Amino acid sequence: MADTASTKGGFGAWLLDPKRRGALLVTPAILILFVMNIFPLLWSFGLSFFNYKASSQRVPRFKGLDNYGDVLTDEKVWERFQTTAIIVSSSVLLQLIVGFLLALLFAKAFPMRRIVLMLVLTPMMLSFVSVGVFFKLFYEPTFGVVSYVLNMFTSEPFVMLGSPQGAIIGIVIADAWMWSPFVMLLVLAGLVSVPKYLYEAAEIDRASKWRTFRTITFPYIKSLLLLAVLFRTIETFKLFDIVYIITEGGPGSSTETIAVYLYRTAFQFFKTSQSSALAYFVLFIVIVLTNLYLYSVNRRAEEVN
Amino acid sequence: MSELKVNNLRRTYGKVLALDGMSFDVADGEFFCLLGPSSSGKTTTLRAISGLEELEHGSVHFAGRDVTESAVQGRGISMIFQTFALYPHLSVEANLAHPLRRSGESASDIKKRVGEVAELLRVTHTLKRKPTTLSGGEQQRVAIGRAIVGRPKLLLLDEPLTNLDAKLRDEMRTEFKRLHRELGMTMLYATPDQIEALTMGDRVGVIREGKVVAIGTPRDLYGAPTNTYVAGMIGSPPINFVTATAPSDGEIALPFLDQPVEAPGVSSGQPLVVGLRPHDIALANGEEGGIPAKIHLTEPLGDVTIIDIRTRDTDMKMVLREEVAARFRVGDEIAVKFDPRNLHFFDPSTGARAAHAAT
Repeated sequence: MADTASTKGGFGAWLLDPKRRGALLVTPAILILFVMNIFPLLWSFGLSFFNYKASSQRVPRFKGLDNYGDVLTDEKVWERFQTTAIIVSSSVLLQLIVGFLLALLFAKAFPMRRIVLMLVLTPMMLSFVSVGVFFKLFYEPTFGVVSYVLNMFTSEPFVMLGSPQGAIIGIVIADAWMWSPFVMLLVLAGLVSVPKYLYEAAEIDRASKWRTFRTITFPYIKSLLLLAVLFRTIETFKLFDIVYIITEGGPGSSTETIAVYLYRTAFQFFKTSQSSALAYFVLFIVIVLTNLYLYSVNRRAEEVN
Repeated sequence: MSELKVNNLRRTYGKVLALDGMSFDVADGEFFCLLGPSSSGKTTTLRAISGLEELEHGSVHFAGRDVTESAVQGRGISMIFQTFALYPHLSVEANLAHPLRRSGESASDIKKRVGEVAELLRVTHTLKRKPTTLSGGEQQRVAIGRAIVGRPKLLLLDEPLTNLDAKLRDEMRTEFKRLHRELGMTMLYATPDQIEALTMGDRVGVIREGKVVAIGTPRDLYGAPTNTYVAGMIGSPPINFVTATAPSDGEIALPFLDQPVEAPGVSSGQPLVVGLRPHDIALANGEEGGIPAKIHLTEPLGDVTIIDIRTRDTDMKMVLREEVAARFRVGDEIAVKFDPRNLHFFDPSTGARAAHAAT
């Protein structure tokens, strides 16, 4: 028994049937996702159980969980995690403070507010690479703007990135400069959602400024602040571009974040399997953080309803 | 003594004149109602008295002190907002305690005072809950509690019943009267609803476009309205207006009557607006004759029915008790009468009261 529709139009008509249109439209995206993301993810997971080196022709040998053992007992890995933690915590803290203060400023009406707000939001729109290059030039000891300004007070050239502490501070400032506007946007959204009549009621109640902030303003921005902290922590945890451009992990290994170390292991030392194992370790931490984030997003959504 | 003197307030928003010489006095312990339609300046007046609104002109004196420039916190005045404005993240208990936090009272005193107020307003069972979980009436009671917990000398109420349903409104009206009697506090109550103003106010100030057009007891305002605006604002269903002229001194010809009626003080040829309240029109029985009228609409309210009648091209409303109204259908011919002493006369150009037949 011949189906008239399919025999008449052939394969083209069969494919363009409205029933299949949805599937047809998502297929390219699914294919790309599979080839670019899912396949490498699974492949690298497989690799993490072998002793594969991308630079060598040898046939890889199965090593079981040895790579994971190596990563967990590698002192360097723990040092890099420490460096990452220091950069993440100080950068996120700085972003919170600056973002919060900016939000308080922009919650008020003042002349040219919209234009200034747009300018303040610009860093967040820039690419990591340009931010990295900006700050590398700012910190440059001979002609950089930081050194130039400090030279007015001291006669010696100022080498910002010369010491481990200076390098970390330099990276934290660059990252916080880029992402404080993001925190500001979130906090600002909370601030403008506070109904004005609550502040008036508080005035009638003779409440102090501090009490008004605590009982009215803070509850409205609390959950958004938590979101900002988690989101920025996840992002900064993976920080690579800015560090790689500004310091390349130096001096020594003092600013080498876990992402930079991972890159080095994989593409400079070509310990492909071991780096896959480390990558899975990092992925695990990010998944934990992301779940915390999603949990608080859901809680926020419930609160708003 | 906590008397309030509001003198010549003026406030504009852009080009809109919100307050245009608002003046009135409220005596110590009085329940004073401001009655006016929306955007007539009621809310702005209350906000100016509380200090939330800045004024361009005018002064506010409270308890013998000029508070025009005082901060909100220093005035000893409390306010209930139309939206209730309860703090959504605090429990009812913390909401009620909020105004006491600055007074330096001990925690146990605060707790005791909150307990008293909760008892007074019958919200004790809700103390641990968040305001959003309460019913409208409970939220309203908590808002009242928060406003009175600090023992203010003056309580401002900005349309506090507007957000409640009709049944709750009736209950809360009684509640406000009870509170006023029990606390002896001076209250200034803004409302667009004439029933609220008449039932609760010791005196009522009728406002229009940012100024007071009449002040008086509810009885005075209903019985002898000083102008057409007040006459139209007060009374439900609203007063009937007809235009008329005086054929000779002391007499007036109404469009639906063959004979002119007596109107002392009216001079010949004077045009007038005549007001007649629906409650002052009655059915005429057979022997009296009466004015022939035709029923063209009925609105039963349960105990009474509002009847729209037409008599010689003039439409009017009258009110009949339900059992009487039940005898009639739309389209029926009836005969009505009224006592000429109940007519109100107004000047058509100014709207001011011209003369009264009864005086």
